[in-house]
Amino acid sequence: MSRITVAAKIDSLPLLLAFVKKEAAGAGFDEKTSNQVQLAFEEAVVNVINYAYPAAEGSIDVEASEGAEGLTIVISDTGIPFDPLSMPEPNINAPLEERRIGGLGVYMFRRIMDKVAYKREGGRNILTLIKNK
Amino acid sequence: MESKFTVACKDGVASIELCGRMDASNSPALQEELKKLSAQKVSHLVFYAKDLEYISSAGLRVIIFAKQKIGVDSQVYLIAAQEAVLGVIKMSGLDNFVHIQDSFTA
Repeated sequence: MSRITVAAKIDSLPLLLAFVKKEAAGAGFDEKTSNQVQLAFEEAVVNVINYAYPAAEGSIDVEASEGAEGLTIVISDTGIPFDPLSMPEPNINAPLEERRIGGLGVYMFRRIMDKVAYKREGGRNILTLIKNK
Repeated sequence: MESKFTVACKDGVASIELCGRMDASNSPALQEELKKLSAQKVSHLVFYAKDLEYISSAGLRVIIFAKQKIGVDSQVYLIAAQEAVLGVIKMSGLDNFVHIQDSFTA
């Protein structure tokens, strides 16, 4: 298992994406799948960066592990309770001029990953993303 | 590849060159740059994406923003996009509202 802890700010994103890219390569994913995993991860972690700590600075923990199931990425934070999976799906058939900003990222990581799960435990938001091999 | 965006506007055609990655860390800067076009009459928003390797929903928001805030009556074009970028465009349903072309033809 590999682990990284960073400040929950947008400047941390390149470091986080490099971490996930390395883990995806280690899991044996091709470039296309690695790109998809990075995309799904970005969508999930940006939610934490944007919403978890509205009143203070905080951190994000990311763990990645490779197993028989595939690559498992666990994103956790001690911010306010937030279940991204409870967000309504965006209307992807709406024309551009009627598109609402928001919801698209969650929709995308749910589409890309094979399994996603959220739980609130020990004062932490814990989001698990799994991509099968 | 270094991520780099350039914006130019002539005769109502806004040309936006996208290079590298469009993610949540750098897309807001492009959105700020595009805001400068809001005083102009823009009929065509042309995103050149040949050298764009990666786009996330933050990048898609820039395209949506451009349409809604700069050229609500404009046509939006995505030129020479790579497969990875096209996949994201299609996943989000934007392919139904954006002209996807190999080279720009109004």
